[in-house]
Amino acid sequence: MPETRSNAGIGLHGLVKSYGGAPVIPGLDAELEGGEFTVILGPSGCGKSTLLNCIAGLERLTAGRITIAGREVQEEEPKNRRLAMVFQSYALYPHMTVAENIGYALKVARVPKAERMARVAAAAKLVELGDYLGRRPGQLSGGQRQRVAIARAVVREPQVLLYDEPLSNLDAKLRQDMRMELAGLHRRIGATSVFVTHDQVEAMTLADRIMVLNKGRIEQFDTPEAIYHRPASAFVAGFIGSPAMNLIDVTGDGSHLRLSDGTALARHPHRGPAILGIRPEQVQAAPGGIPAAVTWREDLGAHCVLTLRLGDGTALRLATGPGQAAGTAATLRIALPAAALHLFDISTGRALAAAAAPATMKAEHDHLPS
Amino acid sequence: MKQAIFRARFLLWGLAAPQLIVLFLFFYLPIILAFCWAFHLEQPFGGGSQFVGLANFRRVLGSSEFWSSAGATLLYMVLASGTSVAAALVLALAADRALKVSPLARNVFIWPKAVASASIGVIFVFILNPFLGILAPLNDLWPGFWNPRTNVLHTYIMLFAANVWNAIPFSFIILLAGLQAIPQELHRAGAMDGAGPWRRLRDIQLPLLGPQLFVVIVLEVADSLSGSFGLIDTMTQGGPGGATNLLVYKIYSDGFKAYDLSGAATQTVILMALVACVTGVQYLFLERKVNYDR
Repeated sequence: MPETRSNAGIGLHGLVKSYGGAPVIPGLDAELEGGEFTVILGPSGCGKSTLLNCIAGLERLTAGRITIAGREVQEEEPKNRRLAMVFQSYALYPHMTVAENIGYALKVARVPKAERMARVAAAAKLVELGDYLGRRPGQLSGGQRQRVAIARAVVREPQVLLYDEPLSNLDAKLRQDMRMELAGLHRRIGATSVFVTHDQVEAMTLADRIMVLNKGRIEQFDTPEAIYHRPASAFVAGFIGSPAMNLIDVTGDGSHLRLSDGTALARHPHRGPAILGIRPEQVQAAPGGIPAAVTWREDLGAHCVLTLRLGDGTALRLATGPGQAAGTAATLRIALPAAALHLFDISTGRALAAAAAPATMKAEHDHLPS
Repeated sequence: MKQAIFRARFLLWGLAAPQLIVLFLFFYLPIILAFCWAFHLEQPFGGGSQFVGLANFRRVLGSSEFWSSAGATLLYMVLASGTSVAAALVLALAADRALKVSPLARNVFIWPKAVASASIGVIFVFILNPFLGILAPLNDLWPGFWNPRTNVLHTYIMLFAANVWNAIPFSFIILLAGLQAIPQELHRAGAMDGAGPWRRLRDIQLPLLGPQLFVVIVLEVADSLSGSFGLIDTMTQGGPGGATNLLVYKIYSDGFKAYDLSGAATQTVILMALVACVTGVQYLFLERKVNYDR
């Protein structure tokens, strides 16, 4: 298959999906570029699978429009939308061989047998399944079934590939391998891809852009880099990163952000209450800083995560740099560098513009969750 | 069963004994007696029997009445099991589309199976009575439109209607359970692959329903050979003109009305052999096509 990029962008316009009056997606607008790998990320129940099923045509919209390559498709049957889907449970036909599974869509479309066989063989080769064409799904391992599901999706050369949490049934090692293979596959076939997951690692590693979904609304739709470094809301900040970003209720007096007991945490011109966000790996141990009691220590080998308690009882997590010893001290003094601070509105949770942190800090890449 | 769980062997036999005794008294003993009588000439009112070898078989197999009865039995077997399984399958497919069947509903569905076929026969004879039943007004308009007492075709339609009504619940429940066990994602995958509802029915649902379909067919075929007695006895008594005198009814009338005990026993042996053969053939040829992978 040629190394081309699909030009089939997906447009979601005023998309509403309700079940019996309860809106799962209350109204959503987004443009997914052609050839782009979009990851829809969110906690369970946020509407991400519903959104995917709406794009696929497996669920009818309550209101709104969906365009694929500029064509309105919300009234079309799934088969007429020129897309393919990889399911969480793989959904392989248990009574068909691997070759029959992969070729079923072609058979339904009455592709002549010779061409069908050639395309099945090519798709199987793409996912390195050539030796297993005569087997039944029941005789395959989880990873192999996953490959069959992917081959079945790509064999039709779809404009759009949809993935519904395809890696969640695999063990950790296999998930990592499949992640790399999916990224490579996307580079080779270049189809517009939409990938639903609740796993931030998959999102960070696979996505060109991540759509963070919360209760059916888009919290942020941006590159992984921006999502990580410039979270648009406290929800995104708390959802991305492992360990999660510290979110602390503070009050600004114009020069400092203070805890409820008056302790000054950091210099900042903000006035009024706000949520202060700082990633655990950016909390620094500093002589002369804010005193904190160490309540829990986790040594993860590469680095340590300390859970600290500040003067007013606020819990805060600190991740040490690679190879840095955590020490055994019961108390610690810490500093929160101004450049690493995020500030969120106390009621809406949206990021406050004045607090936008500098774009990148090279050292942080070592801390990308893994 | 591991010996370690039941140390004392007599306990094992003790626990199994009630079942074994009932099985022996009401199943194996009659079979053994039937085999015995098939090779003896029995007195109609008891009192001595005489070994006659294969004479009974020669007599039975030489009678044209037996062959027409056997033919009717096979025809009834195919049509009765076919119509009842097909009707149950259609209903189950329709129900599977959009129905969550509660345990209570399942319970209610199965009730007709608990009605004795003789009772069903009495009810259907009344419902389909040419002068009093639901089709009577049509007979007023077109005399002779419906008369199961004289028209063989009508008689069979009446029998099948009663049989289908009797057999549907059991098959329906099993088939519906099988359909509902097919994961929803397979339907979705089929839809994504471009298969419409009929195509999915043929390529996905029916193959995956194989095990349930097989069980239902085997049971319905066996049931149509032996279970038709109640219906025939109450609805047609073998008529009109012996057209519905199936083996199972002929055995009864030969044995208990004509007192030909040896002839009845011989035909019983033949009917048993027929049931065994048909079931064996189903397992040999039909089961090969059943796919148990899920």
